[in-house]
Amino acid sequence: MERLVNSLRVRLIGVVLVILAALVPLLYLGVSAIVREGYAERFVNSLRAYSRLVADELEALDEPDFDRHAVALLDSVVLSGQVVFAEIRDRSRTLHSSIATLPVNAPPRDDFHFGDQHDQVYFITHTVNRGDHSVALRLGFDELPTLEQIAAAERRVLIAMAVFVAASIAVAVWLSWVIARPMVRLQAAAQRVASGDTHAQLDVGSSIREVQELNYHLEHMRRELVGANEHLSHEIAEREVSEQKRLDLERRLLHRERIATIGTLAGGVAHEFNNIMTPILLYSQLGLDEVPADDPLADYLRRVIAAAHRARSLVMRILTFSREIDSQQPAVFPLRGPVEEALALLREIVPTNIEIVLTAPDEALPVLGDASLVHQVVINLCTNAYEAMRRSGGRLSVTLGAIENPPDSQVRPGCYHVLEVSDTGHGMDPRVLAHIFEPFFTTREVGEGTGLGLSVVHGIISSMGGVITVRSTVGSGTTFRVYLPAAKAQAPATAASAPA
Amino acid sequence: MANILVVDDEVDVGEAVRRVLERAGYAVTVVSNAAAGLDAVARQPPDVVITDIIMPKVHGVELIKILRERHPRIRVIAISGGGSFGPLGYKPEAISTHAYLAAARQAGADEILTKPFDLTDLIAAVRRLLPN
Repeated sequence: MERLVNSLRVRLIGVVLVILAALVPLLYLGVSAIVREGYAERFVNSLRAYSRLVADELEALDEPDFDRHAVALLDSVVLSGQVVFAEIRDRSRTLHSSIATLPVNAPPRDDFHFGDQHDQVYFITHTVNRGDHSVALRLGFDELPTLEQIAAAERRVLIAMAVFVAASIAVAVWLSWVIARPMVRLQAAAQRVASGDTHAQLDVGSSIREVQELNYHLEHMRRELVGANEHLSHEIAEREVSEQKRLDLERRLLHRERIATIGTLAGGVAHEFNNIMTPILLYSQLGLDEVPADDPLADYLRRVIAAAHRARSLVMRILTFSREIDSQQPAVFPLRGPVEEALALLREIVPTNIEIVLTAPDEALPVLGDASLVHQVVINLCTNAYEAMRRSGGRLSVTLGAIENPPDSQVRPGCYHVLEVSDTGHGMDPRVLAHIFEPFFTTREVGEGTGLGLSVVHGIISSMGGVITVRSTVGSGTTFRVYLPAAKAQAPATAASAPA
Repeated sequence: MANILVVDDEVDVGEAVRRVLERAGYAVTVVSNAAAGLDAVARQPPDVVITDIIMPKVHGVELIKILRERHPRIRVIAISGGGSFGPLGYKPEAISTHAYLAAARQAGADEILTKPFDLTDLIAAVRRLLPN
């Protein structure tokens, strides 16, 4: 109900109705009063003139036969049709028209206004001088025809009023529609904008200036809104990207820091360990010299020495991880050299159910570092690949190449020479992948591996300013990709002396 | 009989080296720090000094430098375990063993051995320095 009352159209029509309700009765009363007055005045004026005429005639009558002439005059007056009552009063007698329609004892007083006394008869009295005395002429005019004329006129006024009211309401309805329609359209358009369709243009096409202005401002506002909206969503997207980048960087930093910490720890332990290993090795070798070669003790000591040597090489690898074993002087060498050497070695030990394929371009692909460490990297990566395919067999692919600005987020833009080692083995799940570069992490059975291989690889590649990435799918294989910064081509003299 | 002075803060290492070299026919003295080493050299200059690099107070490189200044004829073998010496080490400035070994070579060490070394490597190094 309130919604209806507050509607613009209902309000407009309501206002018009209220104005009409106040105005129309007043107008009607006013107009009908004027009409009534007009008719009454005309009626009264004409009957006054007529009665004056009759009075003059009466005054002129001769004395002899006055009564007979007077009655004849009264009769003729009545017969004229307007007069319904006529009498003449003398001091002693009263003369009546013989055909008067009213009873003889007429109302005693005159009418001063039209319609007085509700008897529908207008009485008027004239005093007529008859020489020594005067008589009163009293006439009664019929008001009915004039009353009927007034009623008819009033009906016409009423009809005109009704037409006016109807026309006013029609105009109000039309006007309210004209005003309200663009409002409703604007509202619908604004609703579309609010519900997300911000590209719906506001155009109500009204001819009303205020509505046009409102439309213009709303449209302006919508454009601002769309602009702000686009700006905001752009900003949000940018923030998401930078947040993602930040998280990524944080994760990588954390990872690097953890590995560096473990490396430092490993370095410290390695130092102590080497000090402890020294007397073990020396005393064992001393002891071996003291006993005959076929003594069981000699065998024991040889085993101790062998174990000590293994321990020594383990520590060497730990130190590689903690970047302690830096080569004397890093040199530029072709990537292909140590890779081919390592593959030649691997072909000796890898069973025939595993195919080893090397794909390399003709270019030298020079990198800066220690070739023997790259050799170790290849051996480690290939050993892992081989382990993953040991039961099933498969293909071990080693690919060399060059790439500029690799599309990998972990690698800074630049020129790289790439070493890729790919197997068709059992693959690794993401949980394992997250830890493979950490020292002492291994999936092998106790005793089968130290878990240092990949951390050593990581250490070597980091020390060369490179990056290693891994992709793996459980069941279909693993690919390690090593990005080493491309070095400038070697000087010809060095190239000539470099091993082919 | 050639005299050999061993300087190492690790008593076990010094003792093992002493036994090996004595069995090879050398006269060996073992001390556990650079100051004691310099004292021993002052008392009786040895033919060869075998010194650890990473030692408390005065480290091996300093010792080698002093020896080179005062006794240019004494031959020196530098020995060291690997490792880094930051949080867990002796020196706050934490430089790598290789840097130390390189510094030792620069300071005038004739031979470099990294721990743990084989008996044969030790004797071979000494023999290279003492051909007689």
